[in-house]
Amino acid sequence: MANVSTIGRGTVVRGSVRGDGDLDIQGRVEGSVVVEGELTIGESALIKSDVSARRVVVRGAVAGNVSADESVVLESGARVVGDLGAPQIGIRPGALLRGNVSTQVGGQGAGARPRAAAATARAARPKPVERPVAAAPKPAAKTDGLAAKTANGPRVEGNARKPPPPVVPSLKRGAKGALKRKGAR
Amino acid sequence: MAATVIGHGITIEGEVTSDEEVLVAGTVRGKLNVDGPVTIEAGAVVEADVGATSLSVGGTVTGNVNASDRVDLLAGGRLIGDVKAARLTIADGASFKGNVDMDV
Repeated sequence: MANVSTIGRGTVVRGSVRGDGDLDIQGRVEGSVVVEGELTIGESALIKSDVSARRVVVRGAVAGNVSADESVVLESGARVVGDLGAPQIGIRPGALLRGNVSTQVGGQGAGARPRAAAATARAARPKPVERPVAAAPKPAAKTDGLAAKTANGPRVEGNARKPPPPVVPSLKRGAKGALKRKGAR
Repeated sequence: MAATVIGHGITIEGEVTSDEEVLVAGTVRGKLNVDGPVTIEAGAVVEADVGATSLSVGGTVTGNVNASDRVDLLAGGRLIGDVKAARLTIADGASFKGNVDMDV
């Protein structure tokens, strides 16, 4: 009984949790979780930290990297924002994940952290780069959009350029109908 | 079985807050604040200030204890720290060093 550890629904841990047994988390943990047995993150659990164990089963929410020596399984209802690292990874339908996934053998545990650090570094670097890029394209996109609108719109306006072809068939259709009707009448 | 079980071999460093029953068989360092009963089993080590409605100590506690209801220091239990509780029992064979405030 004492070997099966549980952090209950109404329990909040701020700090590190580590141990060599199995752990079932139903409550909240803000800190690191390192277990040498099986770690189950229940439906009502909310974990704001990196998680590491031999096997990890996630049914709840994790904001942090999840790494395991054997396997990581995200069950239906799992919400993970962070990287997954384990030799075997399962993501069931209904699980949500935002992060990198790595099944590289020997890359778990120690490997996941540098990767995560690299990922955060990558994420940190591109952001300022992306912003000006994103900022530049926006007006470009707008102008493109306007250009597209003006290009598409000119069916009526820009008779001098490409637009005429669509104008003609549309007129043809109407004209044909009108002519037919007129002709019929 | 208690809602929260900190099993043998599990160590928590930091603050544990709960509104349900907590059973400690492992190690807790930092703070343990529970709005419910706390059981510290034989072999458990708690180096923390403990707040609970009732506290049962069979293991080792180092830190001040504040219980709204009662504190039971069981045989083999070891408590170093001040106790503030309405009721306190110290079993034969328990170790205790600290002040007691029973709010007289």
